[in-house]
Amino acid sequence: MTTPSEPQERERAPTLERLHLTLFVSGASATSARAVVRLRDLCDRHWPSDYDLEIVDIYQQPEVVFARGVLAVPTLIKELPLPVRVLIGDFTDESRLLTALGLPGARHD
Amino acid sequence: MANTEAENPGDRGGPQLPKSPTGIVGFDEITGGGLPAGRPSLVCGPPGSGKSLFALQFLVNGVTLYGEPGVFLTFEQNRADVVADVSSLNFDLDRLEADGRLLVDALSLEHQAIDTGEFNLEALMVRLAWAVEKFGAKRVAIDNVEALFAAFSRPALVRSELQRLFRLLKDQGLTTVITGERGDGMLTRHGIEEYLSDCVVVLDDRVVQDVATRRLRVLKYRGSNHGRNEYPFLIGAQGLEVLPITSLGLNKQVSAERVSTGVPGLDDMLGGEGVFRGSGILVSGSSGTGKTTIGASFADAACKRGEVVLFFSFEESEAEIHRNMSSIGLDLTGWVDRGLLHFHCERPTTRGLEDHLAMMQQLIQEKAPTLVVIDPVSSLARGGSAFDVSAMLMRQVYYLKAASITAVMTVLTDESELAQSIINISSLVDTSLELVVLTALGERNRGLYVLKSRGTAHSNQIREFLLSDTGIEVVPVVIGAEGLLTGSARIAAESAERISAESMSLESEELARALEQRRETVDAHVATLRDDFVAEERLTQRLIAASEQRREALRLDRLAQGRRRTVRLPEDEP
Repeated sequence: MTTPSEPQERERAPTLERLHLTLFVSGASATSARAVVRLRDLCDRHWPSDYDLEIVDIYQQPEVVFARGVLAVPTLIKELPLPVRVLIGDFTDESRLLTALGLPGARHD
Repeated sequence: MANTEAENPGDRGGPQLPKSPTGIVGFDEITGGGLPAGRPSLVCGPPGSGKSLFALQFLVNGVTLYGEPGVFLTFEQNRADVVADVSSLNFDLDRLEADGRLLVDALSLEHQAIDTGEFNLEALMVRLAWAVEKFGAKRVAIDNVEALFAAFSRPALVRSELQRLFRLLKDQGLTTVITGERGDGMLTRHGIEEYLSDCVVVLDDRVVQDVATRRLRVLKYRGSNHGRNEYPFLIGAQGLEVLPITSLGLNKQVSAERVSTGVPGLDDMLGGEGVFRGSGILVSGSSGTGKTTIGASFADAACKRGEVVLFFSFEESEAEIHRNMSSIGLDLTGWVDRGLLHFHCERPTTRGLEDHLAMMQQLIQEKAPTLVVIDPVSSLARGGSAFDVSAMLMRQVYYLKAASITAVMTVLTDESELAQSIINISSLVDTSLELVVLTALGERNRGLYVLKSRGTAHSNQIREFLLSDTGIEVVPVVIGAEGLLTGSARIAAESAERISAESMSLESEELARALEQRRETVDAHVATLRDDFVAEERLTQRLIAASEQRREALRLDRLAQGRRRTVRLPEDEP
């Protein structure tokens, strides 16, 4: 983990921070299952063992849903590095996911 | 629960659905008890028409009046704004939340999420279900549900998810208010009324000649009768208040106490005692007939009794009123200093009619006056249609009457259309005074008559209304050969009368004097006669006395003679 620093610093060098993601899913629904698989696969390819992924089942933890203001499932919140990004959907559009996760298009393979 | 018996449009007909009272003044009456219990209702209208307030009031009243906890889900504002917006309406959302009876859930949809593929709004439903369960909510409001269409750029998906949400709310038996913004040719922008067919309430905020008037209409109420009119409503200190014109209750307390108008001659015209406390008084007249003055003297009289007066002036500033009234000997500044008289002066154009009424009600609640003067009520009404004006004023008059506040309203009759609309409320006022201009013989004088005064004997005469530096006076007019005489003609007629009266008194004085002289003569004569009599009496008495003396002397003589004879007798008969 990186040491906490000033937000301005963080924004200047976001790539220096470890990727932290939270994914909200609805139980074992097909869409949610697809989203989990796609996200894991993509992260393993680009940040092998260099990311944290927290999966929240909205039925199990409704209070977390409430606290985070989540409306749709699947919802992915990129917590770190800043800026925070919110994505919804099952990641059919992988390029959008990569852009949101701060990966330059050049590194996309 | 909130059913009222008389004139209740929702009460006609057969079996009724269970209803959930909103506690919104007037609304429960026109719907025969409130919104359909356990079902979602749509409240739609343009921005700023009071949808959010309707939703919140429904929830707050649910908690405070009917013991039903509620959840308010808003996509429109942040939580602090929601709380601040209604705190002026005495809705203490923070306290209700702290008590665990209400949840204000403000969801920000400002940042549109990045759409990467298939999704649904299951989390929204989980969220709502969780909150409902946690608070034991019976009532839910979602404001404004169509914001979801903007946040998620998949209208078909949002539509089907909303349908699912409404079904969920219904399945859980939650009485729900869903708000939606009016769209082109549709009730809501995205046509969600299609899924909310149980009850649809339309709010409107129409601007006519720069004056906004709010209206409410129950467009649809499945399985229930309801008032079908458009009802004006206002947002006042108590929140939304609907005015169901046809169901104005008439069960107010009435007072038999009479209060002075402050003008002695006018009190005389009203049976000598003035007007009833808590009644409505309309003072109409054209420009410069003294309407404000009548209002001010009502105020002055009330302050003299130690009562609190609220004076709304829509044409003159407070300073102007003080100056003008002091010129006729009415000093109102003293009452202001003593905290009895409160002025509120404002240009009528600063707000709409409905806003003015709301502001007035707020001030009335704050100052708790026993008398309210609205000068002139006609300028307040400028711009509204006749219907709006009379409906709103009716509401105001009713409000004042219910609070037993005497209301003096002046009406400028020059504005004929408005005057007409105000005459419509004249059926609601108890006393109507008309100030007229009497022009004759090159003069313009003020006249006053009582058009009507319910429940009190009143003069049928037109009297002259005088304003001088010593005060207001109402004097009887003189009816001369040429008709009504006022001003100098009256004074001339009065002085002619005075002269003839004087000459009459001169004549009688002379007669009295003559009589007095005669009396003196007679008295003298009587005195002489009496003297003569006394002299005669004395003489007669002397004569009587002399005659008595002679008789006595004669008797003595006879006795003496007799004795002598007796002595001689024995010698004659031995």
